Amino acid sequence: MLRKTLLYNTLLNKIIQVPDKIVIRWGMIFPVLILMCISFITLKYTSVNSSFFSSTFTKQIVWFGMGSVVFILAQWIRIQYFQEYAYHFYGILIILIGITYFMPVIGGSHRWIIFGPVSFQPSEIGKLLLVFVIARVLTDQKGKMNEIKLLLLILIMAIIPALMVFKQPDFGTAIVYGFIAIPMLYWSGIRSFYLFSVIAPFVSIISAFNIYFFSLWIGILVFVIYYNQPKITIGVSQFMVNIGCGIMSPFIWHNILYAHQKERILTLLNPTRDPHGAGYQVIQSIIAIGSGGIWGKGVGEGTQTQLRYLPVRDTDFIVSVIGEEMGLLGITVILVVFFTMLYWIIVYAGIISNRFSSLTLIGFASILFIHLAVNMGMTVGLLPVTGLPAPFLSYGGSFLLSCMLILALSTNIINHHI
Amino acid sequence: MPKFKKVQLVLAGIFAILFFRFYHLQIYQHSKYETKAGNNSVRKISLHAPRGIIYDRNGIPIVDNRQIYDLSVIPFDVTNQFDYRMVSKRTGVSSIELKEKIAKGKKSFHRFRPIPIKRHINFETRSHLEENKLSLPGTIFSEFPARTYPVKAKLTHVLGYLRAVTELSVSIPNQELDYKLGDVFGFSGIERIYESILRGRDGTEFRLVDIYGIDHGVYQDNPGLQPTPGKALNLSIDSELQALIEDLFRGKKGAAICMMPQSGEVLAFVSAPDYDLNSFAGPVPIELWERWNTDSERPLLNRGIQGLYPPGSTFKLIGAALAKEESIVDKNWTVNCNGVYHLGDRDFHCWNNAGHGIVNMDKAIFQSCNIYFYHLIQKLSFNNWKAMAENFGFGATTGIDLLGEKGGLVPGKKYMNKKYGRYGWATGNLLTFIIGQGDILVTPIQVAQMMSIIATRGNTKTPHLLVDSPSENIIVSLKSTTWDFLQQATWNVVNHEDGTGKAAKVLGGEVHGKTGTAQNPHGENHSWFAGYLVKDGVPILSLAILVEHGGKGSVEAALISHKIFKYAQKNITL
Repeated sequence: MLRKTLLYNTLLNKIIQVPDKIVIRWGMIFPVLILMCISFITLKYTSVNSSFFSSTFTKQIVWFGMGSVVFILAQWIRIQYFQEYAYHFYGILIILIGITYFMPVIGGSHRWIIFGPVSFQPSEIGKLLLVFVIARVLTDQKGKMNEIKLLLLILIMAIIPALMVFKQPDFGTAIVYGFIAIPMLYWSGIRSFYLFSVIAPFVSIISAFNIYFFSLWIGILVFVIYYNQPKITIGVSQFMVNIGCGIMSPFIWHNILYAHQKERILTLLNPTRDPHGAGYQVIQSIIAIGSGGIWGKGVGEGTQTQLRYLPVRDTDFIVSVIGEEMGLLGITVILVVFFTMLYWIIVYAGIISNRFSSLTLIGFASILFIHLAVNMGMTVGLLPVTGLPAPFLSYGGSFLLSCMLILALSTNIINHHI
Repeated sequence: MPKFKKVQLVLAGIFAILFFRFYHLQIYQHSKYETKAGNNSVRKISLHAPRGIIYDRNGIPIVDNRQIYDLSVIPFDVTNQFDYRMVSKRTGVSSIELKEKIAKGKKSFHRFRPIPIKRHINFETRSHLEENKLSLPGTIFSEFPARTYPVKAKLTHVLGYLRAVTELSVSIPNQELDYKLGDVFGFSGIERIYESILRGRDGTEFRLVDIYGIDHGVYQDNPGLQPTPGKALNLSIDSELQALIEDLFRGKKGAAICMMPQSGEVLAFVSAPDYDLNSFAGPVPIELWERWNTDSERPLLNRGIQGLYPPGSTFKLIGAALAKEESIVDKNWTVNCNGVYHLGDRDFHCWNNAGHGIVNMDKAIFQSCNIYFYHLIQKLSFNNWKAMAENFGFGATTGIDLLGEKGGLVPGKKYMNKKYGRYGWATGNLLTFIIGQGDILVTPIQVAQMMSIIATRGNTKTPHLLVDSPSENIIVSLKSTTWDFLQQATWNVVNHEDGTGKAAKVLGGEVHGKTGTAQNPHGENHSWFAGYLVKDGVPILSLAILVEHGGKGSVEAALISHKIFKYAQKNITL
């Protein structure tokens, strides 16, 4: 009994630490409050037909309440804990995503772990775990490992879970997993040219579908390689890899991508392709946003939204609702406020000298940024429909909770160091 | 530049790209997408203008509007409790077909949109289904205007029927009225002739509709247009008389036309056999129409204006009128009828094989002696006889307000030369013409019009079906003595103790008439009676009755006329 309590206490001591001070970082909190207000107003009017307790509006308020509790509790978490156990987390992440393959299919994919009445999506919290492990590796190997080796190691570490998530299939989350490593790598001081070399093959793949874009891209590629003056062997092999990727992409297109993923990419290229399939959503979203004008049609007055021409208006396409009902004004507020939040996180990341903490902040900012950018890009037809929600705007309990957790841990980290 | 500033700069750049994309859509292309949003959700709904009601001369509605219904289901709302068998039983749609249709609809993107199950169901069927609403989730009814015929009189060939505009309706009359798919239009009869009056103008309404097709009320920014109801029509028909005659014609073929001699207003118009306009809901179903069309009894044929018959002895009045007008014979000019007349190597018979003995013109008419007229025609000019027939309206359409009227045929020299060759015809043909046989063809309405002319001494109007509508005068100028003779002779037909039209006599009434027994190549003789009724010194009703293969005019047609006169004596006033 005593031993048990001791063990318990030790574990608790590892996780919990009473914070020295709790400072509310308004530069980050205030934007979130504004975003939540916009979200509540929008949800209030998209759910007028449902009863009070079952409406997304009420539920989201409850989730926000829970998120606030999480926010406060997270201030007591000992931040070094994540650094110490980062590799364990990575293992847990891989195992959990692995388990999802043996779970029943829900909505065409197995993203969920179902345990009796409880079910959760490991890839959701996995984004944070991936940030920790990348930050840990980049901290540990600073100056020890060859830059290129480190770069490749990090990329492999990110790509393994990304591919696993992609196989679930969850294209959107795979993009998040693949993306967050890049700003963190840049932040860790890896040469920009190396990062460029990593990103370049993906650009080659995409541009290969259009011979003119591909030619232009190869031109840029040659210029960048020449400008950075790498060794001749590296320069040539880099060039060859990109050409190879360009040739490979049709193969990937026909043999690796799922039909609905191809559909989404094709729809991005031409939204009018299938008005009642994936393209339909984008068309209706663009119509909603375009018809909103500067001032919008007024909350609850959007015909696209209220007459249900706009699909999944509470979650994926909530930005379209805001665009229609609050106009460019509402969109501008979202962009400004969101930028402000990221701006401050980056500022703090620049101030904090602790390498792990600083990198973690950049990783968190990357998660929030990629969600918003992909989501908004999707609503205006710039990016394919990936099903990524908009942070602090889209309805969805677990997503809001993880966003709140990101914000809470960021505050915790900042307060711990500054 | 510090690293964090570079990152912020890149971030700002990406946010700026997003902003400009929104700016482009919301400011630069705003009006384009505003229009598109409007097209999405604003539906133009047509508001049906009620069709004009048709009344008879006494203000009794004979064609009214009623609602019929289209049954649809919303596939999404159909549950396992749905009673396919009941719908199948009530509507005749097979339940397997129904199940397949709904199952397919459930998978469709438009699963919230109603799919039609059965069109044109009546109120009774709707009520039955409505009562069992709980076992029929997802069913909805949409209203649809149709005609109903509340009185006993069918008046089929006058009223006509409606048809719906389909992709196949290439020849819609009154194209200028701007029809839409699914609209109904008058395809025949009064419904067609007076389409522009009856139809009215449909209104429009703009409504907000969501993606599932669910209505969200009137679009405030555009008030639309109220429908203008069609105007009512007052027919000159006496629906009670019409019903009476229809009853008399039950099981017979033929036609009966009754009109007011002075005004030309048609009081009754029967063509038998007919079909029941009340037997279907909504526009005529194609199968039913096909059945009528191929029926050997030809119910679609409007015998009153399209049936061409030899007039038989009713036509003797033309010859008599000519003889009187030109004073060719007087009443002392007689013929001895022994039942047969020899001309060349041919025998021409009187209907009375025993013969009528000594016959003057009076007797020749009321006894309907053929032999007298065989002699008479030889004293008359063929051209003048034709002209006289045309004077009385034969050989041309009367101009009644119905479509498809035929003009009939009064043969003249030109016609005979053309048909038989210059030497191919002779006096023998004329002998048949004067007694209303041979090539002559008339319609019942022409015969009725002839009686109107006699009854009014040559001062009547074109027959028409609308009360108080302007119509052309028909003036026939003959000597007063000719009119006197014709009226007296026709009076004798009915009232003389040996008159062939005795059966038509009405106690206390002044009935004039002429019988006719028309031989025809198709079988038994057609039975004719043409006459008029005078009340208080004024002719109030003229008629022509034709019973196909009814035998002697003195029996079948005269008996029907008797009943009509009896009714008119009591009920018709000017």
